[in-house]
Amino acid sequence: MSAQRVSEAELHAYVDGQLDGNRRLAVERWLADDPEAARRAEDYRTQTALLHDLFDTVLREPPTDEEQELADRLKGRLAFNDNRPPWHARPLVRFAAAVMLVVAGAGGGWFGRGAQGPSPVVQQQQQQRQTLATFAEEATQAHRFYTADERFQVELGADNQDELNGWLSKRMGRDVFGPDLGRVGFRLIGGRSLPTDLGAGAQYMYVNDGNKRITLFVGAPRSGNASEFSFTQNGDVLTFYWVEGPLAYALAGRLSKEELLQIAKAVYSDVKAGPPRREEPPPQDQRPQDQQQQQQQQDQPAGVQPISDTQKPKDS
Amino acid sequence: MSKFGVDLEVHIASLRRYARALLRNNRADAEDLVQEALTRAVARADSFQAGTNLRAWLFTILHNVHVNQVRSKASRPVEVDVEDVESKLVTPARQEERVELREMMRAVDELPEEQRKVLLLVALEGLKYDEVAEMLGVPIGTVMSRLSRAREAVRAKLANEGGVALRRVK
Repeated sequence: MSAQRVSEAELHAYVDGQLDGNRRLAVERWLADDPEAARRAEDYRTQTALLHDLFDTVLREPPTDEEQELADRLKGRLAFNDNRPPWHARPLVRFAAAVMLVVAGAGGGWFGRGAQGPSPVVQQQQQQRQTLATFAEEATQAHRFYTADERFQVELGADNQDELNGWLSKRMGRDVFGPDLGRVGFRLIGGRSLPTDLGAGAQYMYVNDGNKRITLFVGAPRSGNASEFSFTQNGDVLTFYWVEGPLAYALAGRLSKEELLQIAKAVYSDVKAGPPRREEPPPQDQRPQDQQQQQQQQDQPAGVQPISDTQKPKDS
Repeated sequence: MSKFGVDLEVHIASLRRYARALLRNNRADAEDLVQEALTRAVARADSFQAGTNLRAWLFTILHNVHVNQVRSKASRPVEVDVEDVESKLVTPARQEERVELREMMRAVDELPEEQRKVLLLVALEGLKYDEVAEMLGVPIGTVMSRLSRAREAVRAKLANEGGVALRRVK
């Protein structure tokens, strides 16, 4: 396609997600034929990810009192400007909460304290429950935050899913992929990597025809006992979470519990089956897990029984 | 909470992040800048038209405040502020333990300010090229060339300093 020459500016626009579909295809064709340009695009993307790793922590810092007061005043002024009712009360979700979000703050991540050395099984189980609950909570916050503004949604679109999965797998240092949820009516629109204490986590975002968004949040817990589906709800965002193999998953959305459960089941069977286009899933013992986890799996049956657990009515 | 309120909060978070990155991770200066920008935004709230781009409006105000601050600081003698030094010291160091993060931080710090701004606005904050052009008051072509130079400069630095950074994950 040399007739469609690709410009320097378009390479950047491609990396920044500012190209329309046609030109995006042209750039992708170009990159396929030009390894040097492909390396540049990859390096630029890495730069972006590093910038987020460096500075996204700021999002989690609570605003100063002055800042908060100014923000409240501005809200009032703009809301008035907007001919909407003034803000009578502070928002239910304060700023700090809305952005506490991005996975594993300085105050401690959901991974638990891996450096503590071996501890009794019970303690480990407790710890895992605790860290998984934190993981789910952060997945919920991340969902709330990144679905709030369309520009924030994804770092990398899903036009090329191999690229998206490859990039996120690299960021996480483990194979991850965004399952195909077409059969439950959701389409993958892209993903982002989020910084954590022990490396990157991945958030995949999906949308359905009704413009409802769900996010699948994937993390790599240090100790990953397989666990049953659990459920949590924060405001109007519902989250199912579980551990499968080396990874923890949390599926969040503003849907009914039943709807979300159907999708969680689809995700569960997909990730268990492994990534698409792979001839066969890698054998259990060749997966690049740390030994700690394998040992733990020997210690107890890895019984993942999503159905039975989730049938229990837990919500109000 | 209405959509509008969430938007504003997300935008302000983004302002704070940008200010921190722009001011080389100096927390005190970044907080000053954001506060000054918000103060001005409150004063000028009437000039914001509902339905237009709130995020671009806020970033433009912050940019103008920053330009003014730089200008007024330039006319004063350089002084070392103890608080500034302290705030650098208390910046959590843990996140910079990763070698590639430290190198990235340094590479970005060493960029000329005009390039650093464009890189941060585009790559970190996800602003559209035309929004950046309008905000900085330069043609879009200038935005693109600054972006391109910034990215290549960072790339060269990361590649020089060990090459760990970009190849690590392969």
